[in-house]
Amino acid sequence: MLAPLSWLKEFVDITLTSGELGEKLTEIGLGVERITRVDNDTIFEFEITPNRPDLLSIIGIAREIAAIEGKRIKSKSYEIKVSHATTLPIKLNPNYKLFHRWTGISIANVSIKPSPQFIKDRLIKIGLRPINNVIDITNYVMFELGVPLHAFDYDEIKGHEMTVDLAKGGEKFTSVDEKSYHLPKDAIIIKDNERLIDLAGIKGGLNSGVSGKTKNVFLHVTIANPMLIRRASIALSLRSDASAIYERGTNKGGTIDTLKRAATLIQEHADGKIASHLFDLKNQEFKPWKLALRISRLNQIIGIKIDEKKIIDILDSLNLNPHVVLSKQSASKDLILIECTIPTYRNDLKIEEDLIEEVARLYGYNNFPKTMPVGEIPTKRVPYFKDFNMEENAKSILTASGFSEIYTYSLVGEDDLKSFNIKSENCIRVDNPVSREFEYLRPTLKTNLLKALRLNMPNFKNINLFELGKVYIGKHLDNVKEQYFLAGITNVKNYFEVKGTIEQLLEDLGVKLDPTKYIEVLDEGIFFELNFSEILPLVSLNKKFKPLPKYPPIIEDMAIVANASVKTDEIIKEIKNQNSLIVNVSLLDSFEESRTFHVVYQDPQKNLTTAEVSKIREKIINNLREKFKVTLKE
Amino acid sequence: MEESLMQIKNSAVSMIIEAEDQKELEEIKLQFLGRSGKLTLAMKGITKLPTGDRREVGQLANEVKRVLEESINERSNSLKTQESKKRREKIDITNPGVRPDIGHIHPMSQVLYEVVDVFKGIGFQAADGPEIETDHYNFEMLNIPSDHPARDTQQTLYLDTRQSKVTPGEIILRTQTSSMQGRIMEKVKPPIRIVVPGKNFRYEQVDASHGFEFWQVEGFVVDSNVRLTDLFGTIEYVLKKLMGEKTKIKFATTNFPFVEPGVDTYISCTVCNGRGCSFCKYSTWSEIMPAGMIHPNVLKAVGYDHQKVAGFAFAIGLSRLVTLRYQMDDLRLLTNPDLRILEQF
Repeated sequence: MLAPLSWLKEFVDITLTSGELGEKLTEIGLGVERITRVDNDTIFEFEITPNRPDLLSIIGIAREIAAIEGKRIKSKSYEIKVSHATTLPIKLNPNYKLFHRWTGISIANVSIKPSPQFIKDRLIKIGLRPINNVIDITNYVMFELGVPLHAFDYDEIKGHEMTVDLAKGGEKFTSVDEKSYHLPKDAIIIKDNERLIDLAGIKGGLNSGVSGKTKNVFLHVTIANPMLIRRASIALSLRSDASAIYERGTNKGGTIDTLKRAATLIQEHADGKIASHLFDLKNQEFKPWKLALRISRLNQIIGIKIDEKKIIDILDSLNLNPHVVLSKQSASKDLILIECTIPTYRNDLKIEEDLIEEVARLYGYNNFPKTMPVGEIPTKRVPYFKDFNMEENAKSILTASGFSEIYTYSLVGEDDLKSFNIKSENCIRVDNPVSREFEYLRPTLKTNLLKALRLNMPNFKNINLFELGKVYIGKHLDNVKEQYFLAGITNVKNYFEVKGTIEQLLEDLGVKLDPTKYIEVLDEGIFFELNFSEILPLVSLNKKFKPLPKYPPIIEDMAIVANASVKTDEIIKEIKNQNSLIVNVSLLDSFEESRTFHVVYQDPQKNLTTAEVSKIREKIINNLREKFKVTLKE
Repeated sequence: MEESLMQIKNSAVSMIIEAEDQKELEEIKLQFLGRSGKLTLAMKGITKLPTGDRREVGQLANEVKRVLEESINERSNSLKTQESKKRREKIDITNPGVRPDIGHIHPMSQVLYEVVDVFKGIGFQAADGPEIETDHYNFEMLNIPSDHPARDTQQTLYLDTRQSKVTPGEIILRTQTSSMQGRIMEKVKPPIRIVVPGKNFRYEQVDASHGFEFWQVEGFVVDSNVRLTDLFGTIEYVLKKLMGEKTKIKFATTNFPFVEPGVDTYISCTVCNGRGCSFCKYSTWSEIMPAGMIHPNVLKAVGYDHQKVAGFAFAIGLSRLVTLRYQMDDLRLLTNPDLRILEQF
């Protein structure tokens, strides 16, 4: 929303500098995106939040400035002489579900010409292109007062009858700016006796629009159903200044003033004469409503005591007509209420908390003291609890092993999947991806890690990378599972270095799993991937100190010759199984068919004798010989 | 005899002083004090002297021996010092050190763990929830019904529902970690202090300060007497802990349907230090943490009595916090796996 300072000043006296004003408006909720200077004027660009349709207007912004400045708004009232003799009759067929209110008037004998300079200038400053006096006036008034309105060429309304209805879907519609659309089902439309003439609340129709030939106009202000406007404008990907206001909820009490303002300007600048009575079709009254604020509640929620007078001043500066009311709570206690009367343009004020925000924001968020929560600190473990220390532990082992951490996108492209022979049908797909490169949820971290490895190859010889992130497993939404995977890739380390890293990782987490099932040898290097979510429940960090041995071990190396089909792991297990006094067995060395094992014997109770050890050794050798047909190497 | 002892002493001492290394010194030692060294032999000769002279000559010989031994020790020590000095002079200690081959933790993780730690210190627990989320938890429970204009600010990535029993539009990629408010609150009663870090997805064109995947840390506190000033205090404490005591913070009013009053938090832009840059859109402030008092409709939706409990909620833009922390001028640097970036952290 663009707002020229000169236009705002028509409604409120401003003493603050533009910079100060920008700061203060941002603080109270009108976020200033930019302030620019154009031809002796200052243009503010605001970001308007979805709850404030009233701020999509000059008067709405001026009201906020008035509240900051502690001044009253210079509101104007416009009176028009309603015609007693209707020379341009029209029949309106309402539907109150579609138009909550429908206000209109006919104006005869307009002369269509360019707008006066001040209207043109202001429209240009807010980013609009002047067209002709009548169209410009409707735009001017919409931006001035925040209620959309539209002018029809009266003589193009066939049968001088208008009916509001819902589109069936598929109707062809050409807008006043000569663009064609196929309407979605349930868009609000206006038909005359022969044709569709208006896409209500979004765009006027070309066939009934005001043009150079127009002699008579029908001017109307409608309050269209916000939900239907929103759905149609999304379906059409067509957003207009009017639809932005409608979606947020238009000022239902503002139709008559808006119509009068526009009619006055048309009379003044397009020589028109009022030619009908003022239509105001509605099935209920749209009046200001009452909303109460308990002072005790205000103080409790905002955390400070603001005195009653200050609260009243703030609410009054926003034209909320505050009055103090005492409400009997009990015989001895009265509750102090401030009862406000909410103007119809503030339809964001519905509950007590909304009034609390009004007081807090104008008191100034940056004027509040700062406190810390005082209540009890919850100690019970929360649902969805996550222990980030586990991640940190795992990552510190990987970094100590030389791997650097990367973060990549969860969304990958079909090409990425194809290059790993992963069928995209087996992955979860996004219906509206930002691009084809980011269409599927990754079922593995491999594609991104390998791409990362390749990316680094021109600059680095030694590359070790890892990622701990979610992957999404499942063919479709009924069975999809999100799991944290921990994966890495290296073009430096050999298989056993990677295996050792994972062994260390698992050992530190207290998990007994076979690391080899996680490792894959790729052309570019060694890749590993663990399902971290599945490992987490197995983690046991309950470390218990083991006293140091009191008696020395006896260590011997045993060289054996065995067939390659006998796995080292099996031999080690077999040796360990022979006696509880064997506390450790490891592979020291291997060469061709021979393997040397390092065997440690230790008795926690006493010194071992060589005689005892040689008995055990004999048992080991006999067993290995029998089981694996090994021979002892001399 | 005395004379020859004095000669031995003088010649030995002068040789010792002139010895240039340990080896030479060792030879000198042998030459005089060895089994057949000059002094040793001379001392053996004392026994041949008349008894009356022996005592006096013997004392002198011992004295000479002591002097020689001391001189050798002294010289040896000074040689050792000289040698080690020389040895040191041979290597160029300004050569670079040989570094251990260790990897780097991503800056996102470093800041994330720090954030979690700061919150732990003030009684928060961390939680984690699904990225594939229902419209119910992502929007409905947060007071954003399906036709609400606020949905425009969080353009959604929808998931393909074909081959599943899911109604189109019902399951989405979450647009905000606030989806965890409903999930957690409907399972527990206050008091609650929780942070939920996580990744979010939005249909958004990528630029220096926006991405279609980004990280947030959601947080919320619910208790019988939670106040707006607690929200301001908590945010200030956390941001100053993370970004430094001197960080400038300001608050502004904003609107999200799930908070009332609504608060937005800005910190002074660290990329340009207040000079204005594309990262902060030349405003010198960077929006970092939308927040507010939890809306009564949200409390009601999880079955709380909004007259008895109140709460505040916030969402730290983690990706943005990381870039501001390290003065990175583009969010995309965080998902770029270039080791030239990673090695800096």
